[in-house]
Amino acid sequence: MRAEPMADDGSRRPRVRRGPLAGIRIADFCWMGVGSVATRMLADFGAEVIKIENRARLDTPRRLPIYKGDPRSYGDEDPNPDPNKGGLFNNYCRNKLGVTINMRSPRGHELAEKLIAQSSVVTENFAPGVMERWGLTYERIQGLSPEAIVAHMSGFGQTGPYSSYRSYGPIIQAVSGLTFISGLPGREPSGWGFSYMDNQAAYYNSAALLMAIMHRNVTGKGAEIDVSAVEAGVSLLGPDLLDVIVNSRPTQRPGFPPGNRLEYPRAAPHGVYPCAGEDRWVAIAVFDDVDWKRLVEIMGGPAWASDPRFGSQQDRFDNQDALDARLSEWTRSREPHEVMHLLQRGGVCAGAVQDARDLNEADPQVAHYDLFFELDHPVIGPARFEGNPIRFSRIEQDNWRSAPLLGEDNSYVFTEILGLSDDEVRELAAEGAI
Amino acid sequence: MNETDGRDAAPYRGLVVVELADDPAGEQTGKQLAELGADVIKVEPPEGAQSRRTGPFAKNVVGVNTSLTFWTYNASKRSVILDGSAAGRAALRALIAKADVLLVTLRPSELAAAGLDYQQLLETHPRLVILSVTPFGLEGPWADYRTSDLVGLAAGGPLMSCGYDDHSIPPIRPGGNQGYQTAASFAHCGLLLALIERQQTGAGQLVDVSMHCSLAVSGELANPYWFYPKVLVQRQTCRHAQPEMTQPALFRCADDRWIYFTLILAEQKPWEALVDWMASLDLAVDLADAEYSDLTYRQQNFYHVQELIEVFFLLMDSATAYHEGQRRGLPIGPVQAPEDLFDDPHLAARNFFAPVSGDEETAVLVPTSPFRFSSFAVPSPRRAPRLGENTTEILADLGEAQHRGIPG
Repeated sequence: MRAEPMADDGSRRPRVRRGPLAGIRIADFCWMGVGSVATRMLADFGAEVIKIENRARLDTPRRLPIYKGDPRSYGDEDPNPDPNKGGLFNNYCRNKLGVTINMRSPRGHELAEKLIAQSSVVTENFAPGVMERWGLTYERIQGLSPEAIVAHMSGFGQTGPYSSYRSYGPIIQAVSGLTFISGLPGREPSGWGFSYMDNQAAYYNSAALLMAIMHRNVTGKGAEIDVSAVEAGVSLLGPDLLDVIVNSRPTQRPGFPPGNRLEYPRAAPHGVYPCAGEDRWVAIAVFDDVDWKRLVEIMGGPAWASDPRFGSQQDRFDNQDALDARLSEWTRSREPHEVMHLLQRGGVCAGAVQDARDLNEADPQVAHYDLFFELDHPVIGPARFEGNPIRFSRIEQDNWRSAPLLGEDNSYVFTEILGLSDDEVRELAAEGAI
Repeated sequence: MNETDGRDAAPYRGLVVVELADDPAGEQTGKQLAELGADVIKVEPPEGAQSRRTGPFAKNVVGVNTSLTFWTYNASKRSVILDGSAAGRAALRALIAKADVLLVTLRPSELAAAGLDYQQLLETHPRLVILSVTPFGLEGPWADYRTSDLVGLAAGGPLMSCGYDDHSIPPIRPGGNQGYQTAASFAHCGLLLALIERQQTGAGQLVDVSMHCSLAVSGELANPYWFYPKVLVQRQTCRHAQPEMTQPALFRCADDRWIYFTLILAEQKPWEALVDWMASLDLAVDLADAEYSDLTYRQQNFYHVQELIEVFFLLMDSATAYHEGQRRGLPIGPVQAPEDLFDDPHLAARNFFAPVSGDEETAVLVPTSPFRFSSFAVPSPRRAPRLGENTTEILADLGEAQHRGIPG
């Protein structure tokens, strides 16, 4: 990201990787969101992630119409998309290699087993049972690669009565309770405006893989991993869940969920307030008398602030409708960032509600961390990528290439890693095995 | 994969973590390590961590040992009280000297006040991994800004995607401290990368995790829509923020509960599955007509389609919609409340909830760590420590020299 030698050298040829995971080869059957994001972190830090794709069933992020110069909602797909044009795929699969294998063809299947034999990690996020139908049970994979780590990433887990249920982020959020606890009281839940659980399940799967690798480094033993996104979601519910368990206090009660208000601790004002401009907002969180005094001073000590209804933290908490109306009057004429900086510099917790443009074009903190980086792509051209929010003193993210074109590394992987001849690879292509 | 015999100890067994964390991001990070076998020593001031004073409280009894917020984020740890005195600081130094990991949530200005110098610590303890989890990172113009879950989600971007179709309503924070949880997930992965590096080189390092940056890369489609077509997504009620408004995805059922279902008109198989299902209950009306097999016709008559689906779901209960829909291959999920989870046969079959150990007064079932490995057993959850519960044993381990002058 920062150091020039890390950059893409333009050749697109796989090179020796740097980072703590260098030397670990992953036969990556993942697709969609969770799996692709999970293995992305490993690819970013040196693992040789070989993404195995099916030409007959394109990975959804290759198809979602997130294209330069062509704004569409993601349901509005091109019926015959260029598989190499999708921006989401580029973001998810940078730093990975890409091969195509037709698992229904016997020679394709044989090739996949050869690749597994040369790998020490196998990852997948199909519906439970798909790998087993291909004969790729944990036992079979161990036979091919004795120390293999095999990661199964799924919505509901590999076992249990609903293991075959279909899911994607919003379904996981609904089933796990995360949607129900999100919204204004007395209305339908507002839930989530994105697949939060695709991200979180992915991060949990990255962690599971890293734990298994760390463990294998000590013991020499592989592992089979089963992470259920629903279970990750339930584990993220927080104190509301313990309130149900310990106090038998249901969340299906008047006044819950509390929207932007915060009951624990009793913060007030605590909310999202209108600013100058269309649909512009600032979040403000005042936790105690010290915060409140600072806020009043920053606002120039308006008379309304000495209203006895706002005297103590409890008073302010009890009179939030009136308090929010007053504070909104003050924020309404100001830019969100102006309010954020005024308050933060005065020691009050506040943040502009930033959109992607703010993050990309104006956020000096994001810029300081070089959070977004650029790589070229043969079809898309130069593009930005979401980098890693962690800065290490001894490790750097190793960005060597944008996402693979469909089957881009077939020749490299099948000849140089698996030892096939160029003629054999051509034959496999001709008979539809790759 | 549920049997424990013949498996290795939990993955963090033997790892010593000293935790100076006072927000859910740091505390959750420590909890994940503790749940999987690490000895996480939570260092608290004499009055206890902030989270001990944050409700709700068990049985509504307010006290330093009854906070459910504290219980949530501090299960399976040990607690030691150390004050800011010279003796307290000496004991902290001695603890750090024994630790593999120092987990800290202090911002740069607070670090200086606490007398912690990361460079110096790494020089003194070359194997130490310092895991810093802060609102904005240790560097940069906003490094000393404060955060909260709401403020973090706002500045980091995810909040702008969440709320209602009606944009006179502000963006609405999703529940459960997910801003902090996002930072915790990156902290967990960052620590693992540093520990794997240490296995190879023997060297520790500083891992600087920024909650702000963690959230700025966790908005799913918002950044790619800006990277590529340069458009902003617009929040919508309980469904993906998109460049343009799309059809509602929440449907009300006869039992007054909601289900989530997105019908993607362009996909033929789910369309046919849905129409078959509606027809089986004589509720397909005209949707089985030949014209509807054409995507363009479906798109043109979309409002009619949506209305019929609304009526269809309104006539069945949410459990039927969920299970019968899934049986027919449709991704449908009920909007379950947390209290519903304890009746979920799937979670029960997977033994996801387990009794918390070490707590005789409050015998309850709590979620286990969501990681399942064939190679090692996931320990059963242990209750959060009482304030200073382990002070004596922890200080005894350090030796008498540090013991004097330390309260607790």
